[in-house]
Amino acid sequence: MRDRIIDLKQWIEENLFSAMPMSIAVIDRDFNLVLANPAFEEKFGDWQGRKCFSVYKDRDALCPHCKGGEAFKDGLPRVNEEEGFDRHGLLTRYIKHTIPFREKDGSIPFLLEISTDITETERIRQEHQLLFDQVPCNILILDRDLRIVRGNRRFSETFGELDGRYCFEAFKRIDQECVDCPARQTLSDGRVHQAHSVVLDKAGKQVHLQVTTAPLGLEKDFQHVMEMAVDVTHTLKLEESLQAALAMSHAMIATSLDAHMVVDGAGRVKIFNPAARNLFNVPPGHPMTGEELSSMLPEDFMSMVARATAPVSLSDTFISTTDDEKIPVRLVGMRLIGGTRDMGMAFTAQDLRPYKKLEAEKLTAERLAAVGQTVAGLAHGVKNLIMALEGGLYMLNSGLKAGKADRMAQGMDMLTRNTERISVFIKEFLSFSKGRSIRVKPVDPVGIALELVDLYKARAGELDIELTHEKTGEVLPADLDAEAMHECLTNLMANAIDACRMSDKKDPCHVTMNTYEKDGALVFEVSDDGCGMDYEIKKKVFTNFFTTKGSGGTGLGLLTTKKIIQEHGGRIEMESELGEGTIFRIILPRDRLPKPEGRS
Amino acid sequence: MSGTKTILVVEDEQDVQTYLAALFEDNGYRTIRAGDGVKALELARTEKPDLITLDMAMPEQSGVRTFRQYKADPELSRIPVVIITGVGEDMQTFFAKLKGFSKPEGFMAKPVDPGKLLKMVEALLAA
Repeated sequence: MRDRIIDLKQWIEENLFSAMPMSIAVIDRDFNLVLANPAFEEKFGDWQGRKCFSVYKDRDALCPHCKGGEAFKDGLPRVNEEEGFDRHGLLTRYIKHTIPFREKDGSIPFLLEISTDITETERIRQEHQLLFDQVPCNILILDRDLRIVRGNRRFSETFGELDGRYCFEAFKRIDQECVDCPARQTLSDGRVHQAHSVVLDKAGKQVHLQVTTAPLGLEKDFQHVMEMAVDVTHTLKLEESLQAALAMSHAMIATSLDAHMVVDGAGRVKIFNPAARNLFNVPPGHPMTGEELSSMLPEDFMSMVARATAPVSLSDTFISTTDDEKIPVRLVGMRLIGGTRDMGMAFTAQDLRPYKKLEAEKLTAERLAAVGQTVAGLAHGVKNLIMALEGGLYMLNSGLKAGKADRMAQGMDMLTRNTERISVFIKEFLSFSKGRSIRVKPVDPVGIALELVDLYKARAGELDIELTHEKTGEVLPADLDAEAMHECLTNLMANAIDACRMSDKKDPCHVTMNTYEKDGALVFEVSDDGCGMDYEIKKKVFTNFFTTKGSGGTGLGLLTTKKIIQEHGGRIEMESELGEGTIFRIILPRDRLPKPEGRS
Repeated sequence: MSGTKTILVVEDEQDVQTYLAALFEDNGYRTIRAGDGVKALELARTEKPDLITLDMAMPEQSGVRTFRQYKADPELSRIPVVIITGVGEDMQTFFAKLKGFSKPEGFMAKPVDPGKLLKMVEALLAA
């Protein structure tokens, strides 16, 4: 056994130098490398006949603070951290133990240098430091008394330099530990704990933290707690405003008078508000399915919305209720896109029944008012006629008594003329007041206008008036009562021609019929450059029996025109300048045009 | 016949104008006629009639405006005016409510009773 130990000692003496995993080298007083082990050669490369500063540091001269030189002087061993370059020229970090070799006479001819490579260790340490400082949360280390040992950069940026202070005092400005302190819990059970904490930053502003504490150190005998705190102030604020927004939209949807429906990406009905239940007549508690909703909306509306990129709006359509009643609504549908995610569709339906009712009532009221005006006006017209007839009788009678033939003839003329007037008057009045309900069907508006221009062409030509037709842009077919519209345009055309005849101009006058579309409305425009109207006349053109043509007109033409246009849901406009001419414009908004019979 | 009084008949309905003129002439008055308000004012200024009958609903210029012009003209304002209109009672009420203007001296609704009209004219001319 002893022999074996002696053998072992001998083996160590012979081999330890070359078996050591650390780099070992010996330098002389001139800093020449005189001996080195294989590990040294492996790390720093060729060394024989070279100076230490050249091998370790790739330098041409002695290092500024040469530790070797100091050791040769004071003969003391030393340890220091060094940076140099390995045989590949890569930066390397190592801890160097310098041990002087002392002769019996006390001189120091050599130094033994043992270098331990710490390049990798240092790299890992740096990585940890980087992580510690740059991680997007506050990290601090507490001791067992809850004093702050140190914090990461983010921590000191937010809370200031607080090393050595009690955490509760530093964060909450209080003088004792918090109840349920997670760090205290970790200290007592060695486990990870979490808590929500409201603290004050260095400016005294409230910060909400989500805190995690973990033991730091060897398993049972740990002395420190690492506290990681994520700032959730912003998240909480967002959450709060999101909740407020949600509560508001819920309240608005629940109390809205319009029906609101939302279908999710999988076709499930997510929102169906009370107004929707009311409109579609869905009993409370009855669960709505996407298919059921789709079947109550206009055909294909849902798939139309699903394909559209913008909201789809139907300003005048119908939905069906659960008991198959058709209800007029304004319907809007749009896709809900959250980022790139399809979140389904939202629908809004506005019940148009109250508006439709008001509209119908208004139309009836307007008609009744027109009839009332007519009756009042009738009395006036009739009185003039009666007086003219009485005049005729007076002339006839007085002529007869006095035996004056010319007076008798004059009386007969008056009687004949006014009897004729009565018949014309009554005919026109009847056509106005009988209230023939208009019957519409799809017709080409340009066709009506052209027909009229053809009809008046010859008469206009005789009067030296240029009559033309213009069509601006595309004009689509419309649901009109062609006969009634013909009558309207006839009235306007006749007026325009009369205005030209009454004009003092020497040059030929022009009458133009123009048909075009504007802002969703079909427009017929009759313009002339005839005599025009002054203010007094403009005020009265649409009143009953007003005429500037003496016995040449009944005054009913424009009134009839107005009535027909009203029944088409449209309106009539007039611009006139005395001596310049007049424009009459019939404006028929397409969405107000009556529907042909057979279509509701 | 220096005592013959002149009546200006303002009326746009030709036949009614003829009737009124014949009625007045048959009863010893001289008549001049106008078919509209503008012509009526002109005639009133040149002929200085003793009485005017005025229709209300006329082209060019309404009877109301014509009436105001008569009454605003110091030389014409003393001439009595008889309004003859088919508009009815409303017109009489309208004139009654007018402030700052003289009321028409007479008012007759169409169709007029010739006897009453002649009596009214006679009374107004005698005053």
